[in-house]
Amino acid sequence: MSNLALHLERDSALTLSQASTGCDFQIRAVDGPACRQLRDIGFCEQMRVRKLTNGRNMLCTVCGTRLALSKDLADQIQVIPA
Amino acid sequence: MSSSSIEAHIALIGNPNSGKTTLFNALTGQNQKVGNYAGATVSRKSGQFFTPHGHQFEVIDLPGCYSLSPNSPDEEVTRDFLLGDQEGETPPDLILCVLDATQLERHLQLLLQVIDLGYSVVVALNKIDSAEAQGLRIDPTSLSEDFAVPFVPLSALNERGIVQLKQALRFPFPSAPGRLWKGPAELEESIELSTKVAEEEGLPKPEAHGIQRIACPEDADTEAEQFIVKTRTEFIQRAVEAGLQRPDGSAQDFTDKIDAHALHPIKGWFLFSGIMFAVFWTIFEFASIPMDWIDGAFGSLGEWVTSKMNEGDFQSLIVDGVIAGVGGVLIFLPQIVLLFLFISLLESSGYMARAAYLMDRVMSRVGLSGKSFLPLLSGYACAIPGVMATRTISNAKERLTTILILPWTSCSARLPVYVMLIPFLVTGSLSQTAIMFGIYAVGTITALLAAKFLKPRLGATEPPQFLLELPPYQKPQWRHVFHQVRERAFSFVKKAGTLILGISILLWFLGTYPKSDSDDPVVQQENSAMGRAGKLIEPIVSPLGWDARMGTAMLTSFAAREVFVSSLAVSYSADSDEPESVRETVTNAKRPDGSPLFTPLVALSLLAFFIYALQCLPTTAVVKRETGSWKWALGQLGGMTAFAYLAALAVYQIGKLIGYS
Ligand SMILES: Nc1nc2c(ncn2[C@@H]2O[C@H](COP(=O)(O)OP(=O)(O)O)[C@@H](O)[C@H]2O)c(=O)[nH]1
Ligand SMILES: [Mg+2]
Repeated sequence: MSNLALHLERDSALTLSQASTGCDFQIRAVDGPACRQLRDIGFCEQMRVRKLTNGRNMLCTVCGTRLALSKDLADQIQVIPA
Repeated sequence: MSSSSIEAHIALIGNPNSGKTTLFNALTGQNQKVGNYAGATVSRKSGQFFTPHGHQFEVIDLPGCYSLSPNSPDEEVTRDFLLGDQEGETPPDLILCVLDATQLERHLQLLLQVIDLGYSVVVALNKIDSAEAQGLRIDPTSLSEDFAVPFVPLSALNERGIVQLKQALRFPFPSAPGRLWKGPAELEESIELSTKVAEEEGLPKPEAHGIQRIACPEDADTEAEQFIVKTRTEFIQRAVEAGLQRPDGSAQDFTDKIDAHALHPIKGWFLFSGIMFAVFWTIFEFASIPMDWIDGAFGSLGEWVTSKMNEGDFQSLIVDGVIAGVGGVLIFLPQIVLLFLFISLLESSGYMARAAYLMDRVMSRVGLSGKSFLPLLSGYACAIPGVMATRTISNAKERLTTILILPWTSCSARLPVYVMLIPFLVTGSLSQTAIMFGIYAVGTITALLAAKFLKPRLGATEPPQFLLELPPYQKPQWRHVFHQVRERAFSFVKKAGTLILGISILLWFLGTYPKSDSDDPVVQQENSAMGRAGKLIEPIVSPLGWDARMGTAMLTSFAAREVFVSSLAVSYSADSDEPESVRETVTNAKRPDGSPLFTPLVALSLLAFFIYALQCLPTTAVVKRETGSWKWALGQLGGMTAFAYLAALAVYQIGKLIGYS
């Protein structure tokens, strides 16, 4: 049973750039060359993000702050629906 | 104030845009630059204040940083300062950590890192006014207990809570709380070991170096680092659960509504160009009214002096030298004031970050990121703060490229030259605005093309990344805006009264002596020192369509660009006996054959030169300091000036070929 739950969770994990706009997510993992920079600005594990727009540079909010980030950075952030 | 009475040093630390400089100004009564975007402060500033208990402290304002692992040169300043690695600085006795109350979860990260370094800390919980307006409920007592440091809610902007803050800075300061979390035995051991190593190396603040080397190792993302990040985040989440309540649901606020337009891929550009066009139009339309007053005033002053003084060299020195030269530059004061007013408004409203966001699309085409646009934008005011602002760019090659192209964003010193020349091209304020817009666009576009050319040649490979905070819009801080504008206006007037006055007098002497026997002003002019210098430079500038006097004026403008205008005013006003306003003088200037000197083509060629020439030695000095090498600074100076010459040459020669004169 818990195995199934784990599976489901892994399946639903996606990167922030794939995530759909207007929805809230929780950050699962930050992984990649820019991970330190991303964590510093607020994209920490466990934090909640809302994605606002798609595009070359996407907009999202983390704890009430608007942040713009490029797609290759968003690819380094894994989120699950919150 | 003598520094001997200073009892302690306090450093302001906090995320960018959390309000450190606003608090610094509130504490010290200074007026350092604040702006509603990340990166307004790029170097350290210090000041003093007294507490209600009568202690005097020095407070140091530092560039903002998101963490103690710096991503750009300005953040390095702050980290090195905290670790005691900054040369000639002693580590502060207390850290005043400035947190934005509306973004507590994010900003507490830095607080925890600072506490871990082993500092005594007092927290300024800033922007409490905005937090209240958003319906956030913050419990400072609970946060104080969790973090073992005092939290003082305040609003630096409205100067609310400043007294309470000063009271909280009780001297002698409470001892440092020390690290608030514990790791597994293994990690604790390695931290201890690392501290010992730092101690043996004789580093200042060994315990700070000890934890820093484990928490932010050279090779990122070690297991220890991941553990520490996770532990700190969990610590903050527990603290926030007790100490902060956000209102449910997130209604669209004012900023969201504006951003829906301002960041829109199409509407955003219309808004951006609209704002820029409005700025230039105002500069032409409204500035012309006070300009005419100043011009008229100097004209009448000249007439009055002429009528009161005996004719002779001294009268000529005052009228043709001092009044023409200084007046010629001072009439552009209204433009300078308006330009700085608009730039200050943009900076304080929060639109700067939006402009950077929009421009990222364009900038990425030439290998730069939208972040490089912020320094370029400050370059429209003056290249020097622009070059300094590149410290916020994390990639070194990108930063160098931005510095090298930056002087091509037209700075305010060029404005008088443009405003003087544009009326020779077109009439009507709308078409003049269009030309002005075009001039700025040409400068900027060439700068971007140069970046595309330069960046790969500097050995930069990685594509630029874009990560930027978009602060909420706010109404401009008028007091601060006016202060900035007044300061700029004052320094412009001061320049006119010192440098430009001096050069005008010098030019008058060079243009008057040695005297010839002839009474003919033309012969006399040719015989003077300036006339002789003009003869030397004439062969170089005549392919550009310029006469000898424009050539000498151009040479003098290397002292300061505005000098070009006064230099022309001084040298041409010797031609006529009647004192007249500066603009009439230049408009009436004739070639020896009687044809007007300032034809549209000549004006265009002069414009081309001034758009591209780097004629500002202070800029070259700052570029040397920021890049650390004369190679770049002198290469930029030579390259840009040569380019300017070629551009003017091309404009004039091509123009002549297609039938203009
Ligand atoms: N609402 C509000 N805004 C503030 C307050 N203090 C500063 N600000 C604004 O925050 C922005 C950043 O201020 P600044 O001092 O330049 O921040 P720094 O980057 O930390 O030095 C400016 O636009 C200020 O007007 C405050 O107490 N309340
Ligand atoms: Mg600042």
